[in-house]
Amino acid sequence: MSLTRNTFAFAAGLLIAQGAFAAEPEVDRRMPNFLKAEAKEDAEKAKKRADPLDALEYTPSRAGDVPTHIDAATPGLKPRQSLEIPDDVMARLAFLPAETLEFLKSGKAGTAVRPDVMFEKILGFETDEQIQAYMDAIQSVFAQIEFQEGRDKTAIALNTASPNFNNWRLLRPRDLDPARVPGPIALSRYVGGRGGGFSTFAGAPVAFNQADLRAGDVEVAIMGAPLDMGSGWRDARRGPLAMRVMGRGLGGTDVSTMVNPGRTLNIVDYGDAAIDQLSTERSVQEVRRMVREIAETGTVPFIIGGDHSLEYPNVAAMADVYGKGKIGVIHFDAHLDTGRGRVHLLDHGQPIYRLMKEAHVRPEDYIQVGLRAHYSKEYYAWQKLIGMRYHTMAEVERRGWDAVLDRVVKEARENTEYLYISFDVDVLDPAFEPGTGTPVSGGLSMREAIPIVRRLCAETNVVGFDLVELAPELDPTYRSTLNANSILFSCLTGMAMRKQGITETNFISDLSSDHGQDNYYGDAP
Amino acid sequence: MRTFTQAACLSLSLALGAGAFQTVMAQQIQPELGPAQQAFIDDPANLKPFGLTKEKLAKVLQGRDAATIATTLSAMMETIEAAKYRGYDGPQPEGQSKLDPVGDMPEIALNPQAGQFNRGLVLRPSILDQYQRDPGPFSLKRYMYETDGIPTFANAPVALRAEDLVAGEVDVAFVGVPLNMGSGWRDSHNAPRTLRAMYGIGGFDVYAGVDPSLELSLADYGNISVDRLSIELGVTHVREMVGGMVEAGVIPFIIGGDHSVMFPTVAAMADQFGAKNVGVVHLDAHYNAARDLAHFQSDTQVVSRLIQDGLIEGKNLVQVGLRGPEMDEEALEWMRSQGLRYHTMAEVEAKGWDKVMRAAIDEAKDGPENIFISFDISVLDPAYARGAGRPVAGGLTMREAMPLVRRLCAETKVVGFELLDVSPFLDLSYATSLNANAILHSCLTGVAMRKKGLDKKAYLSPLTVSD
Repeated sequence: MSLTRNTFAFAAGLLIAQGAFAAEPEVDRRMPNFLKAEAKEDAEKAKKRADPLDALEYTPSRAGDVPTHIDAATPGLKPRQSLEIPDDVMARLAFLPAETLEFLKSGKAGTAVRPDVMFEKILGFETDEQIQAYMDAIQSVFAQIEFQEGRDKTAIALNTASPNFNNWRLLRPRDLDPARVPGPIALSRYVGGRGGGFSTFAGAPVAFNQADLRAGDVEVAIMGAPLDMGSGWRDARRGPLAMRVMGRGLGGTDVSTMVNPGRTLNIVDYGDAAIDQLSTERSVQEVRRMVREIAETGTVPFIIGGDHSLEYPNVAAMADVYGKGKIGVIHFDAHLDTGRGRVHLLDHGQPIYRLMKEAHVRPEDYIQVGLRAHYSKEYYAWQKLIGMRYHTMAEVERRGWDAVLDRVVKEARENTEYLYISFDVDVLDPAFEPGTGTPVSGGLSMREAIPIVRRLCAETNVVGFDLVELAPELDPTYRSTLNANSILFSCLTGMAMRKQGITETNFISDLSSDHGQDNYYGDAP
Repeated sequence: MRTFTQAACLSLSLALGAGAFQTVMAQQIQPELGPAQQAFIDDPANLKPFGLTKEKLAKVLQGRDAATIATTLSAMMETIEAAKYRGYDGPQPEGQSKLDPVGDMPEIALNPQAGQFNRGLVLRPSILDQYQRDPGPFSLKRYMYETDGIPTFANAPVALRAEDLVAGEVDVAFVGVPLNMGSGWRDSHNAPRTLRAMYGIGGFDVYAGVDPSLELSLADYGNISVDRLSIELGVTHVREMVGGMVEAGVIPFIIGGDHSVMFPTVAAMADQFGAKNVGVVHLDAHYNAARDLAHFQSDTQVVSRLIQDGLIEGKNLVQVGLRGPEMDEEALEWMRSQGLRYHTMAEVEAKGWDKVMRAAIDEAKDGPENIFISFDISVLDPAYARGAGRPVAGGLTMREAMPLVRRLCAETKVVGFELLDVSPFLDLSYATSLNANAILHSCLTGVAMRKKGLDKKAYLSPLTVSD
């Protein structure tokens, strides 16, 4: 039976292909649908639709003030666009009560259904009852979706009666350990500094508190913040562990500069910040406290995530110490992370908005590098409006990496005295960094990332650094972790260079190339 | 030689234990210790969080003077006290965000100004479909014998609304609940889509001689929307959606998500069949009966929540496969006081699997008629399911788990089944997914057997097993 039918369909298909039964001869069948006149007309119309952001003008932000147009495009806060109803549709709707028509004109229906689909459906209905039922459904969906006082929760309740309420962040009384004088604790057994067997960041000694940092004249404290609620595939909580255990990529001499950061800088492993794995909001307060604790002593905090929600507490803590609006941020990421207007006030896509909304950083002092995730055009239009500086991979495609690199370093030196680098490992191509929660193709290579991080940390006043979104279990090899360590090493190298007074633009040691002897390329000074 | 002497001293003082402590006290501290401090160190529950017993504490304090000992003890007491919630009602310092409160955060603030606050949880009424269709499950397969293409559970047709389930007189509907906030390694939200794309559910079952795909009307009900950043905000919706499936006459097969999903699913069963009128068989490495946590919902406390909320009775809960260090004596005693029927892997070691399996099935029958099975993939040994959010060594083999699940689903009135905490990306191979689907298939086969009347004890097909 089915065979017969199939055979018939096949034969009929052949005949149609040959033009025997062409039903609409005037249509060119070789023209794909999306190029047909009607489709192009729709596209043109969409293009002409006014963008409400165009009516606004860039207003420079002042340090400590909330940027003027911060909420010009925030879902829930931006003005709703009204809807124009075509006359023929309006004629069909005339029987409806005035308030329903008001609802339609307000543009609220767009929450439930696309306007062009709605118009077509209305014209297609035969009776007023059908239209009424359709409108009721749209209004009901709108009422369900919008926040309603009394019905919807404004907060997630916690069990304040719990005797274990703060267990997650209870500090262990240090009195339980043998007495010691403050200062970093070396975990190595041998004179050569090796062989402890205990994995710390960069093999560094351990510090627990400000007294340790001060006593040891510590210059860099590396801490973990294993928070991974926000991230896509979620494994970033194991980032700090993996980077400690890796044991490669974080020591020795950097060949480009002949600088050994481990010997030049006083580095410690400051342990991890406590994290409540069921609440970003609770966790970030503890992270902020700990980053502040480090920065207050003049030590540069390096924070290993954890997901990118951490950019909020990290940079907020820097602003606590250096002043609101006094710090610039270089945000390496495939993603804009300027999400906003969501139900949860913080996740790994919203840290930048929250920082600007609380006036910790001015939009002008934000520099994003490596953007390529599929954010809508409106995001870019808004970033442009408020004056953020962004460098997409499209710009790299157009200008070449060297030009973009130079520009970023130049911009980083403008505006603010202090700089903070937030390095999301997904700025790297998945070839280099498969172990990350939200990978995006077409990213930076390690040979592009290492120099920019080293140069920024050498040539600008970097006072804090984070590396986030390493999700080691998602990469069966060591590669993602090794590359993460190498990025960290590049910044440590840059800081060691600065300590040694090497701050010239794009410094490379003479010893490092051309056998350190001849002038083959004819450009030696 | 010197090392030996030290070791000898150490073992001597350990052997003395409390005696050594009393000596220290008698010599130096006793007059200084107030009754509160004495009471504090007399309660082992106070010392346990510090990894201490009274004897170990004595070692720590040995040789310290009275003032230092007093400082240490008050630091310990303060630490235990600081675990409790301490709010602050006074005014916030100027310029400090309410999200950064002075005291403890009593609740986690949301953003009422968010655009389309409930967007993720609102269902589209059928009248708003752009193109109308009649209710009923519809196939995504183009060919007669298509096995790949657009993946669905068991290659089943798709149902989007309860009316589709009703129109298709569906027996079993699969549904994904990709909620994974609770679990340790957090990848289980990828489980529904990965298991859809893996074969192994449906087709002829060689043990029972039954083809559940043929005997039963199946549907893939898609995923239930959850809030990725809050278990609490999704609980009610999951509960209503699963309840709606039962109302539509189907046995829901729920694919998590981590074990926090068990709360809304079992609650939905209680809504439908009556509180305390559902028996639960919980197969898991983890007891999930932690209590008194700061969060109201999480995977580690679903069992105690269900009991404390009066949704199920302790004696109607059969647990199999428990192991790992989370439980302690206090936890086991609480479980026993609630009448839970738990079977640890220690019991399997002592009695053998066959006896434990028989006991679990008999106990499942000795209670409410309606049975819900909650299967955490970690009940299996990591050899079979390394892609688990909270793997624990020493678990069941597939050849132990499959017969248990098949028999439970054939011999009891199973009204719902869930498979939780599969974290597919944590397993580089297909093995976890394949085994997970084999577990789903085992229960599906059991349901088909029952429909055909093959619900005798330990039934196996005479075609494949001779007497």
